[in-house]
Amino acid sequence: MLLWLVFDLVLIGAIVWLAWAALAARDGFEMIVLFMVLGLFVALAWVRLQAPDVALAEAAVGSGITGALLLKTWRHRRGRAAGDAAADARPSRALGFGVMGLVTVLTGMLAAVLVLIPRPAPSLAETVFANLAVSGVDNPVTAVLLNFRAYDTLLEVVVLFAVVVVVWLLGDAEADRRAPRLGSIFFGFARLVLPVMVLIAGYLLWLGGFAPGGAFQAGAVLGAVGIVLLLGRLYTPTAADRLPARLVFGLGTVGFAGAGLATLALGNAFLGYPPEAAKTWILVIEAMLTVSIAATLAGLFFGAAPSGRPTRESDR
Amino acid sequence: MSEVLLLLMVVLLLTLLGGLVRVVRGPSEADRMLAAQLLGTTTVALLMLMSVAMAMPRLLDIALVFAILAAIAVVCFVATGEVRDHDAT
Repeated sequence: MLLWLVFDLVLIGAIVWLAWAALAARDGFEMIVLFMVLGLFVALAWVRLQAPDVALAEAAVGSGITGALLLKTWRHRRGRAAGDAAADARPSRALGFGVMGLVTVLTGMLAAVLVLIPRPAPSLAETVFANLAVSGVDNPVTAVLLNFRAYDTLLEVVVLFAVVVVVWLLGDAEADRRAPRLGSIFFGFARLVLPVMVLIAGYLLWLGGFAPGGAFQAGAVLGAVGIVLLLGRLYTPTAADRLPARLVFGLGTVGFAGAGLATLALGNAFLGYPPEAAKTWILVIEAMLTVSIAATLAGLFFGAAPSGRPTRESDR
Repeated sequence: MSEVLLLLMVVLLLTLLGGLVRVVRGPSEADRMLAAQLLGTTTVALLMLMSVAMAMPRLLDIALVFAILAAIAVVCFVATGEVRDHDAT
């Protein structure tokens, strides 16, 4: 088992070094690439910690979508900062030390919690497993996220909705017009990969019932489909798409909260599904969430409320 | 068998560290981006080995998601890039 120890130690060392390197990088692009690579190592670490659910989330959200969002944001900023030196200025020394102080205090508090926590650590794991049978699903993580603590997840969906609202208010789609058009290699790639990505999104959604998977992971993969469509200009949102986009962005929040109200109407607690049909409730909610999260992520990637006029030219 | 897998995992992890050299040193943006892609591919291989070595077959799903999303960052890199003359050389 010496080799496991070597593996884990190298992994830990690499994560700490990468985190530092990503923070210390002088170049924004290098920072983004290091952050993406950090995601790979962190996913491996989650696997070693026997947390495949988190590793899957890191794979779906952390590596693909976040990398694309960061890259686009960086290009966008650089595109606007041409001739605007202030946008490139580094944060002040005082701000740096302030953040460093806050992070030190936070890290110290986390370390204190780690030391002061009673042994054995208080855990709800037993309660979760004791009630797994009535949750409607076999994966304890999904049972917690979509049933036992469903309102936490509802609020997460609300956060995502709030983010896309702010992006629509503040975003500016005009700055990205200089981007090159993609060639035939890309379209071959898109033709091959997009249908597979849709399939995998559906697979992950279904998988969540009994294994690592679920709406957020499926939504991230489906959202990546949207990102590829946008990047290849296979789909260019226009002002006419605003209403359907709003409806889909809201579907997650409204559908989830609506399900909660429906359970109230049935005489149960808020989001307390009838046990015999819990699986159906969870699947329907997760399906709505998947579509809504995917559209929201793609909308965030687009970065603004679409304003262009519809064009009828077929110029692919 | 598992010893062999474990040895391969350590070797792959070390090659990941080797690939980091290109990410850090660049010098061009494309160097860094392609190195990150290479590391992504290695991670997929590592996850497949770990799925056998740790007896966790579901890790293959994680490898699948990494593999299918790996190209998104590169497509984004290319598609949001600016057309510059010296890139053609």
